Amino acid sequence: MQTVLNIMLIVTSLLLILLVLLHRGRGGGLSSLFGGGMQSSLAGSSVAEKNLDRLTVLVGSIWVITIVGLGLMMKMNV
Amino acid sequence: MLSAFRSALATPDLRKKILFTLGVVVVYRIGAAIPSPGVSYPNVQKCVGEVEQQGIYSLLNLFSGGALLQLSIFSLGIMPYITASIIVQLLTVVIPRFEQLKKEGQSGQAKLTQYTRYLTMALAVLQATGIVALAERGLLFSGCTEDIIPDNSVFTLSLVVLTMTAGTAMIMWLGELITERGVGNGMSLLIFLNIAARIPVEGGNILNTRGVEIFIVVCACALVIIATVVFVEQGQRRIPVQYAKRMIGRRMYGGTSTYLPIKVNQAGVIPVIFGSSLLYLPDLLSRLVGDPNESSALQQFIQQNLVDQSSVLHILMYFMLIIFFTYFYITITFNVDERADEMKKFGGFIPGIRPGRPTAEYLRFVLNRITFPGSLYLGTVAILPNFFLALTGEGQNQNFPFGGTAVLIMVGVGLDTMKQIESQLMQRNYEGFLR
Repeated sequence: MQTVLNIMLIVTSLLLILLVLLHRGRGGGLSSLFGGGMQSSLAGSSVAEKNLDRLTVLVGSIWVITIVGLGLMMKMNV
Repeated sequence: MLSAFRSALATPDLRKKILFTLGVVVVYRIGAAIPSPGVSYPNVQKCVGEVEQQGIYSLLNLFSGGALLQLSIFSLGIMPYITASIIVQLLTVVIPRFEQLKKEGQSGQAKLTQYTRYLTMALAVLQATGIVALAERGLLFSGCTEDIIPDNSVFTLSLVVLTMTAGTAMIMWLGELITERGVGNGMSLLIFLNIAARIPVEGGNILNTRGVEIFIVVCACALVIIATVVFVEQGQRRIPVQYAKRMIGRRMYGGTSTYLPIKVNQAGVIPVIFGSSLLYLPDLLSRLVGDPNESSALQQFIQQNLVDQSSVLHILMYFMLIIFFTYFYITITFNVDERADEMKKFGGFIPGIRPGRPTAEYLRFVLNRITFPGSLYLGTVAILPNFFLALTGEGQNQNFPFGGTAVLIMVGVGLDTMKQIESQLMQRNYEGFLR
């Protein structure tokens, strides 16, 4: 069980990083503060972006659940 | 005030945005409380209780809302992202290709953002490794003997590093979501949140250890500082701009006289955030390069002069960095040539000054002059607590959320967000928060 969760954690972590990096970074966080912003808000989000959002949320939830699960197992063992 | 709140919530568009922001905030705070896998939660709690404020990472801990010392999945916070964006922005001056991208406009800007994101991940791996290495050797909490990561096999440790890195990616995404669909700038809002989250804890600390009188004095001081900061933040110089009347088709345009506001502190809180995170970089590097068990001469030098917040060098460096970043940031965000061009295009001019290049020159002159006191003010407020630290010898430091850096960031971000909400309200003709 522990190993399964560990492997799941590795996979979801890598996926999460990949998915977030795939986002276009609109709004651009701090770099919008660097005088690049304001124009980006006009472009509507595409279907691909929406699906990416959903996928990221899904993977993120699995990631959190895995971590909580691992934490609970550790508590049981100790 | 309350009616303004109500009208903000009554606007469906704005309500959606505010609720969305709150939702992201909740997710973020929950994540900050979840410990990383392999980290023994009870042991960490014991250690945190023992060495609450003396950690070497006090400011970082403040920025991460106390998540860092808890080794939670979001323990790195947005620090890697901030560091990455500083580095990329500085590189635009150095590397010609970056400069070209920057000038290219939106597409180039997007590419730079993408580079920043990649760099963030790299920095996140570095920082996570550093912190996990410290925790595993028991150096994160000096003097605490509890075993923070009981199973210190390489596999478990790298798992923690991977989790923290993924957590940073998640935070980055959350911040971008707020910027995109919520109110205010996501990144600075998250920092704001982290600092605000520390206030009750730190306040309780003072109340318990120092007694009621000192607590009241501290609160009064904090209020005075906040009032001063708000006062200066709102200060601006208004340069009059006159628009010429002109006919386009059958309609008359222009003929109005407005003003171009130039704030005393045009740069906002960014210089403070940048300065403090840059000061922390040498320490991180020396830790990663050197052997953490025995400290070399260089490492000791850094510890004594750069990390120690009461040392003269630290205070001086911080001050200079803030002034530098204030100017740096303003030249990036407030492009005088562009402004002058725009004005010329729409038939506007500053009375007594020719449009075009003389206007740009004049704007630059005014901007530089007004930024000088602004930068001095930023630096002074930021280093104020360090002086008290030097005077009393012990007690509060930058970690303390009522002084210096923290107040600057909180007030700045708060005002910014409020103005954004207000401008959204103005579109619908409601009265704003600020009268």
